[in-house]
Amino acid sequence: MKKIQKGSIKNIEKIAKDTFALEINSNVMQACSGQFISILCPPKTLRRPFSIKGFKDGVLEVFFKLKGDGTNYIKALQIGDSIDFMGPLGQGFKIQNKKSLLIGAGIGIAPMLFLKDELNKKGVENFLITGFKAQDEVIEGSDKTVIGGSVIDFLPEVIEKFKPEIIYSCGPEIVLKLVTRVAQKYNLEAQIAMEKVFACQVGVCRGCVIKILKDGKIQNATICHDGPVFDAKAVVWE
Amino acid sequence: MGIKIANFEIKNPIIAASGTFGYADEYEDFCDVSKIGAIATKGITLEPRAGNEGDRIFETNSGMINRIGLENIGIERFIDEKIPILKKKNITYILNAAGSTIEDYSKLATIANKNGIEAIELNVSCPNVKSGCLEFGVDSNSLYELVLSVRKNYDGCLIVKLTPNVTSIENLALAVQKAGADAISAINTLKGLGIKIDFINGKFYKKEVQGGLSGKCIKPVALSMVKRIRSVTTLPIIGMGGISCLNDLFEFISVGADAFEVGTHNFTQCDACNILADNLEKFIKTKGFKDFEDLKEKIKEIK
Repeated sequence: MKKIQKGSIKNIEKIAKDTFALEINSNVMQACSGQFISILCPPKTLRRPFSIKGFKDGVLEVFFKLKGDGTNYIKALQIGDSIDFMGPLGQGFKIQNKKSLLIGAGIGIAPMLFLKDELNKKGVENFLITGFKAQDEVIEGSDKTVIGGSVIDFLPEVIEKFKPEIIYSCGPEIVLKLVTRVAQKYNLEAQIAMEKVFACQVGVCRGCVIKILKDGKIQNATICHDGPVFDAKAVVWE
Repeated sequence: MGIKIANFEIKNPIIAASGTFGYADEYEDFCDVSKIGAIATKGITLEPRAGNEGDRIFETNSGMINRIGLENIGIERFIDEKIPILKKKNITYILNAAGSTIEDYSKLATIANKNGIEAIELNVSCPNVKSGCLEFGVDSNSLYELVLSVRKNYDGCLIVKLTPNVTSIENLALAVQKAGADAISAINTLKGLGIKIDFINGKFYKKEVQGGLSGKCIKPVALSMVKRIRSVTTLPIIGMGGISCLNDLFEFISVGADAFEVGTHNFTQCDACNILADNLEKFIKTKGFKDFEDLKEKIKEIK
């Protein structure tokens, strides 16, 4: 199957301030948490990548936050309209049968909710903590929601109580960096989903590289193709 | 729809521009790569390169700025790992070659010659270490020497990709012709600076990306440059800069282009080369033209 296709809008619904849930009818057969789709947003040059929030019977769900012309284009689409997307793309979370702590910041909750579903289906015990800047930005679905403050401040308490064996996280780089530090401190494995501006979406343009430690060497990896999910230990922070 | 650039046969006049299509095989899940006229590979150097640190991409109005810094796997790995795939999949390719000394380019040319690589596109927008890192492509004497030296070591189709960041592109086109190149491709990216300033919680934040500007916004510059090149040379010209639709092809033909490269638009629509080639073929067939050459002639005759 060609990974570029036209789907149709099943639903667009406001879920928080400037934040929407978008459902797309598609021919996609398989998708997993941590993967993303890239939506064409005319007249923008670059596609906009969005983490997949859910997938069932060909219906892909993503969350998007209004930021500019690209996301405004999507918001203006109507139910039934055609939408051009590539995906699912990238490497998702490698789910393990371990007690899981999920950490999401802002719209980074999207892949965490998908992952939570997957873990629940597998019967893996999990706890999702998320952080939002303000009450009106809160997206529902977490076991604990932090409003206004930093989600990081609550991690020691949650870790000591819940005693996770693995951490999964998605959010801005600064949050992921701090999550990595906390994981190191508690000697926990962590998988983090990263983001950057993508041009090609498939790893060829080398526009979204980060440094990772692989086979004892520091090397380039593209977030769009080698990621977005990386083993936190391997990431070499700038 | 096949055409020839000098003696190099391509499947149709639409080429995927260097840096926008990797080494081609990566796009297999997304489009029919073997049907693309040809693919100019990512810029390849003698040794592998890790590219630039920091942000590499900045989106602009109707385009983007990139500063990848020639991250590539090096000629050796390209030959060992990529050529067998390209051959097996019947993908027509052009080696985009880059270096920092004339010797680098000559060595690449020699290796390409030995390995039966049929076409090279020289990226001359690289700093020339010997001349104080001034780009090869901005000085007609350095460019002449560079092309001459590559020509001596290479029998295949030699294309030189000109940079628009110069005072007289005519002099550079003449230098390339005199040195024995087979074709010119133009234009490479324009020098640009992207700045984004945010004011968050009472504090300014600035992001700056300086690099090469590409995309729809550069088309008028590209058309002007191709016209100026055509005014001094009879060499085949591969026109590029902001091409995204059939009418863009017509515009480039009207200023003297013989074939086209599609670059940034591959990021918007990764099957753009296939779609454009199909649309071009359909137009020729349904509007009563004999072939691509006939279409070109008719467009050039427009008063």
